[in-house]
Amino acid sequence: MPLLEVQDLKVHFPVRGGIFNRKLRSIKAVDGIRLAIEQGRTYGLVGESGSGKTTTGRAIIGLHPITSGTVLFEGQPIFGDGLRGHAGFRKDIQMIFQDPYSSLNPKKRVLDIVAEPLRNFEKLSAREEKRRVEQLLEQVGLSPETIHKYPHQFSGGQRQRIGIARAIALKPKLIIADEPVSALDVSVQAQVLNFLQEIQERLQLTYLFISHDLGIIRHMCDHIGIMYKGRYVEQGTTADIFENPQHIYTKRLITAIPDMDPSKRERLRQFRLAVKTEYEQAYDRYFDADGLAYPLRPVSATHLAALPEERG
Amino acid sequence: MEQAYANNPAPPAAPVTPPQDAEKSPSGWKILWREIVRDKLALASLIFLGAVILSVYGVSLVLDQEQIVTVDLFALNKPPSAKFWLGTDYGGRDVFGQLIIGTRNSLSIGILVTLLTGLIGILIGLVSGYFGGLIDNVFMRFVDFFMILPTLMVVIAFVTAVPNYGIVSFSLIMTAFLWMGIARLIRSKALQERELEYVQASRTVGSSHLKIMFAQVLPNLSSIIIVTMTLNLAANIGLESGLSFLGFGFPESTPSLGTLVSYATNPQTLEFRWWIWLPASILILILMLCINNVGQALKRATDARQRKG
Repeated sequence: MPLLEVQDLKVHFPVRGGIFNRKLRSIKAVDGIRLAIEQGRTYGLVGESGSGKTTTGRAIIGLHPITSGTVLFEGQPIFGDGLRGHAGFRKDIQMIFQDPYSSLNPKKRVLDIVAEPLRNFEKLSAREEKRRVEQLLEQVGLSPETIHKYPHQFSGGQRQRIGIARAIALKPKLIIADEPVSALDVSVQAQVLNFLQEIQERLQLTYLFISHDLGIIRHMCDHIGIMYKGRYVEQGTTADIFENPQHIYTKRLITAIPDMDPSKRERLRQFRLAVKTEYEQAYDRYFDADGLAYPLRPVSATHLAALPEERG
Repeated sequence: MEQAYANNPAPPAAPVTPPQDAEKSPSGWKILWREIVRDKLALASLIFLGAVILSVYGVSLVLDQEQIVTVDLFALNKPPSAKFWLGTDYGGRDVFGQLIIGTRNSLSIGILVTLLTGLIGILIGLVSGYFGGLIDNVFMRFVDFFMILPTLMVVIAFVTAVPNYGIVSFSLIMTAFLWMGIARLIRSKALQERELEYVQASRTVGSSHLKIMFAQVLPNLSSIIIVTMTLNLAANIGLESGLSFLGFGFPESTPSLGTLVSYATNPQTLEFRWWIWLPASILILILMLCINNVGQALKRATDARQRKG
């Protein structure tokens, strides 16, 4: 049984306007997503900005109301009415936020920030609480003496570590990592990513990893889903996606990964150009009249792609 | 019964936490205090304010208001002397005593109105801004309704209608029409704050709305609250003095800074008896300046990037 199963998830936001603030139409931020994550694995959600990957993550944790579809956690349904329906799962699903600068309250000391989840769920004495926070900080590689500092006294990478300490404080099973490194320097990115993998092993964590960076996704994830305009374009294991991309959009994303080797530069440029021409020519075949992807069809046992129906 | 209002007139010198818990990083109060100490003008203003407040509330305990406001026909319009330090007015009443009691009354009203408007404004603004949507809409239409009322007219009507008003009832009347500004301000800031990720982070770790509102969002609004409240204090003292000057504040039997200044509407007093109105006018000016100086220093203290200390 997968740890997290999402079936036909839809998140639509109403666009209001006109007289009496009527609902004019809705933006289909997420429009029918289906995914399953096994315990201990990392599932990557990739897509350009506005493709609905962050909305998916936030809907799963309950920050956005779910329009329709079901989310099953350990086989139990989570109801789609915001955070209240999540009460039983709150400890088990946690989130690492994208921006380490706004995700820590600037008026709170590290102790208060990391202890917040503990104060909500565990009745600890001040002494125990402090010890737990010091342990957590040690786990994320920060000195326990930093406990009385304020967030602005830390660098971006350190702040993200504080965010991670907060997320693992309740010993969750699933962590939704919403672009956890996109606000950091490249040198710090690697550090934080490796650290995330390290605590995954140590704490048996399952990740839903949201990113727009295919290189990072390839490094981190076992399974990948590629989103475009709220729908899946392709889904499969990392090998499926990178070795055998089926959809033209996936192919184009993969060609966009930069390569370090300058000797390949000209060849890659040619390749990119070829894929670009193919993309432009085949766009109508791969996307419907509204520019949306078709429903997924199986390519192999693990690999699904939104391929058009073969016409003759 | 009037001593009852002298409760905690804004701590003039916030007690600095003793250094025994040195491992803690500086608390909010400590930062405020440090900033004021760094800014000599603000420190001088604060000391002066503290001295005025202490001496005014202290001396007014000794003074007998009944005796001061009693007309004395043998001492009309006397210039300053050893017996009457600041002379007497046209009723032979001691101006110095009136100044002390008047300042106390004006300060009490200013502080009371500021605290009450602050409390109401913060509650309504915070709830409205944090939840947004329908709740915000309902609260803001309510605020709009109060905003379009001609405040001054209604206050004057109230003051005329209520026969026996003291400091508390007068403060309540003023509060009823002065809480909207701070509510609006807090609401707009809360709307901004709730979009920040730390609010969502608090929700994902299981904090209730109430907890997030008061423990997470409110501290981030403290700067704006302290600054507006300080500056509002000056404005409220001014408003009370203005109303009394116009004759819609306290009667002459209850002196305030405004009643003393209003003696100057008499051209003779204005020209020849400076001792009646000049001290009160100067005191108003200095009080306002001092409060504003302190307010500015506090404003800087609450923003780490502007701090001097």
